[in-house]
Amino acid sequence: MANVNAVFPFTEIVGQDNMKRALMLNVVDPGIGGVLIKGEKGTAKSTTVRSMNMILPHRKVVKGCPFRCEFGREDRYCPYCREKLDKGIALEPESVRMRVIDLPLSATEDRVSGTLDLEHVLKTGEKKFEPGVLASANGNILYVDEVNLLDDHLVDLLLDSAAMGVNYVEREGVSFSHPSRFVLVGTMNPEEGDLRPQLLDRFGLSLDIKGEKDVKKRAEVVKKRVAYDMDPEAYIERCRKDLDDMTQKLERARELLPKVAASDAIVDAVVSVTIHFGIDGHRADITMLKAAKANAALEGRTEVTKDDIRATAELVLAHRLKRRPFEDAGLDREELEGCLQSL
Amino acid sequence: MSFPFSAVVGMEDAKRALECAVTNPRIHTVLIRGGTGTAKTVLARSCSDICSKHLVNCPLNVTDEQLFGGLDIEKTLKTGRPEMQPGLLSRAHNNILYIDDVNLMDRAMLSGILDCVLNGTVRVERGPISASYPCDTVLIATMNPEDSDLSEHMLDRFDLCAYIPPMEEKERRLVLTRNEEYLTDPKSFLEKFSSEQEAVAKRIDRAAKILPLVTISDELSAVISELCVKVGAEGLRGDLAMLNCAETLAALNGRDEVFKKDIEEAAVLCLPHRRSYDQPPPEQPPEEPPEQQEEEEPPQDEPPEQPPEQQDDRDPPEENNEDDADQDLPDPPELPDLEEMMFEIGREFRVIDYLDKNERLPARTKTRKGRRAMARSADGTGRYARYRTPDGKTHDIAFDATIRAAAPYQRVRESENVSIVIEPQDIREKVRERRSGCTLLFLVDASGSLGVRKRMSTVKGAILSMLRDSYVKRDRIGLMAFRRDSADMILPPTKSVEYSYKRLEELPTGGKTPLGEALVRVDEYMTSYARCHVGERCFVILVTDGRANVPLRQGADANDEVQKMAEDISIPHVGWIVVDAGMGFPHFDNAQKLAQKLGAKYFKLEDLDADRFAEGVKSAIES
Repeated sequence: MANVNAVFPFTEIVGQDNMKRALMLNVVDPGIGGVLIKGEKGTAKSTTVRSMNMILPHRKVVKGCPFRCEFGREDRYCPYCREKLDKGIALEPESVRMRVIDLPLSATEDRVSGTLDLEHVLKTGEKKFEPGVLASANGNILYVDEVNLLDDHLVDLLLDSAAMGVNYVEREGVSFSHPSRFVLVGTMNPEEGDLRPQLLDRFGLSLDIKGEKDVKKRAEVVKKRVAYDMDPEAYIERCRKDLDDMTQKLERARELLPKVAASDAIVDAVVSVTIHFGIDGHRADITMLKAAKANAALEGRTEVTKDDIRATAELVLAHRLKRRPFEDAGLDREELEGCLQSL
Repeated sequence: MSFPFSAVVGMEDAKRALECAVTNPRIHTVLIRGGTGTAKTVLARSCSDICSKHLVNCPLNVTDEQLFGGLDIEKTLKTGRPEMQPGLLSRAHNNILYIDDVNLMDRAMLSGILDCVLNGTVRVERGPISASYPCDTVLIATMNPEDSDLSEHMLDRFDLCAYIPPMEEKERRLVLTRNEEYLTDPKSFLEKFSSEQEAVAKRIDRAAKILPLVTISDELSAVISELCVKVGAEGLRGDLAMLNCAETLAALNGRDEVFKKDIEEAAVLCLPHRRSYDQPPPEQPPEEPPEQQEEEEPPQDEPPEQPPEQQDDRDPPEENNEDDADQDLPDPPELPDLEEMMFEIGREFRVIDYLDKNERLPARTKTRKGRRAMARSADGTGRYARYRTPDGKTHDIAFDATIRAAAPYQRVRESENVSIVIEPQDIREKVRERRSGCTLLFLVDASGSLGVRKRMSTVKGAILSMLRDSYVKRDRIGLMAFRRDSADMILPPTKSVEYSYKRLEELPTGGKTPLGEALVRVDEYMTSYARCHVGERCFVILVTDGRANVPLRQGADANDEVQKMAEDISIPHVGWIVVDAGMGFPHFDNAQKLAQKLGAKYFKLEDLDADRFAEGVKSAIES
């Protein structure tokens, strides 16, 4: 317990490539809309998500801003930054690392959305907004473990912010709004219940993970874990280079992303695939294109190819496939291949 | 910099509705319904730039005080007199009020908002404040009916309602490319559409000027009333909305006279959500039954010994044959102990509202079609909806309300280093609400008597239909089955319907009917379950033909025993529903008697089918 913040290093997690890819795509383009990870207990869901803290890239924010507004995106500034801007006060940039913010299931609504700063009222007689979890989540990853057990009224709150990228607070005498753009990452054990359909669709990507069955790999996992538990800090130190490389890879991909282009043929392919699988609404189309672009950027390319669609289609479509509530989910890979080939 | 209105692809109805609403001040409320990810929100949010009004966002978790207005803390502290702070609705005055996912909003609150918007004023009566302020606004609300739906009464209060249809492949491609363009370079994208935006804004401006001059012929007004009557729209809101809408559409087209075309377009926006379902629309003749029968009786090889007979001769549900006349009927024939078998799940159907109808619930809980109820929450979780003066001590202080209560007295109270002195009588506590579901425990008779003529298949179909209904409503579902000599918990109450489906599918049938044992088990289980799930409403749904044949005590008559037990059983906070799975002739009334003794609601299996039920009622009325 020397270092409470120590987590098992991302780069040392054995297997679970799909989960890692989904998370990385979201780091490259937070606009993808997060990821839902379904799997049984003990499949390293939470470990993987929390371990991202050590590989997350740096981002440029407004110095001193409680919401860490993205520097330069004036259209998305919080009221404080906007006020400064209007008054002609120069804003300075600051580089901070993206973080994973935990949303515990027991969180109360006022802590999540933010509320009246009581101390301030009592001391000064004036009202002030006290930021909540949705404020710290801005520009970061918001992680909800057991997301299927989250209270409905908190889900509504997340839906609202996730949809608009803004947290509107109209409660307890406070009327305030601030940017709240976050990558929503949820993990759940499907045995304990389903997710509300509305929330499900808001997740950009989803995936099912299974426990490792390969004996050798299992042994490797255990060995690593034991080594880590003996001396976490030394273990992390040994992985430092891998971790830094990973961070750099993500930072490079983020820089590259705006230059990644998708040809008309790719746009056609995306729409054909979603229509082939009978998916309504535009969220799937938009997400698939974004995911494909992020995938290209991650691999250092500026041109999206069909391979990028191949690599991401299942992540985008699995939870959107039209199925009756009781049927097993899952994308037919052969069907996808056939659909892509026929173009 | 929101996505421009004119760059939104398709959705003509929704666009038309929004244009009407911002043109004509007599149109107060617009609802846009559509599936997930259909750009409802994008469109709604974009309409502020075609009419130079602000969009005032009303979040779902808004508090009463904040919405309608209340005491202004800062001012009151300064003046020592109660001063009003107008609510969010005052900001919506002369602007646009927007609610996303309106179907998830607290019913009382939404009702309050609609009242204010339709009347154009807000009355504030709280604490020391009694005031009112104007609120001329148009409410734009969006929703996705998949999760839960608004009640008919609420729907009627929306002047216009537009549905978003699915899109063609070509349009979808356009959506995707435009979205890409917008994301990469919002500024030049907005420029690209600036002339179109201007054209729309101009059209609306001009229409607002023409509007007072627009006339409608008597014939066409008569058409409006006729249409409203035809779809069974109650009240006159539909007529008025349609008239306003038709006139606005004429004005938007630069005319000062309403044409038939305007009426047609107005009808699309004003009538579908007001259609009354009590009188089913005539264009749907019951053409499904033949196909359903086939599914119900799947051609199977395992031979149940009776010849498969036509089993869905449906009687109108009211008259349940001779209720008392069957005293003299012979005892049930001893059933052959069928070999254990697995029946596949039979036909599914839409279930009638078997829980909510006639349920003695407070009116407000009946309104959401999706979630079954809203419950007061006592444990500090849930949404802070309003405040009250606590009874004795409280742990959940509503700080804002407390400070407000204290504010007017600050001038006369002694202050020691704090700027607000709070005294015990100022303390207010939060009233929290959370949505509560239901727990439904299905207690299923899987004995051999239900194996006859594949009855179990039908039973499974019915249970699955009820499960599916619960899936939409997010209830917790459990499954207990009894056969041979025991009752087993197949699935403890869970929200995962997928699991219950599997278990149901694999449920074997055969053996005797230990109904008594089942009642004992369920009594034990639910008593402790209800105790640790305070606030949850629980129901036991007993699906059986009620013919017990395994007595608890050696030598006792199993049926007498069961009936006696049913009379004695009383599980606190748990309701009973008996679904009679018995069939054919002679029809035994064991299940019905059982239901009476249990104080349960009683349904015949066939009556659960909403479509058949409606049909039955209809034919009963007609004959």
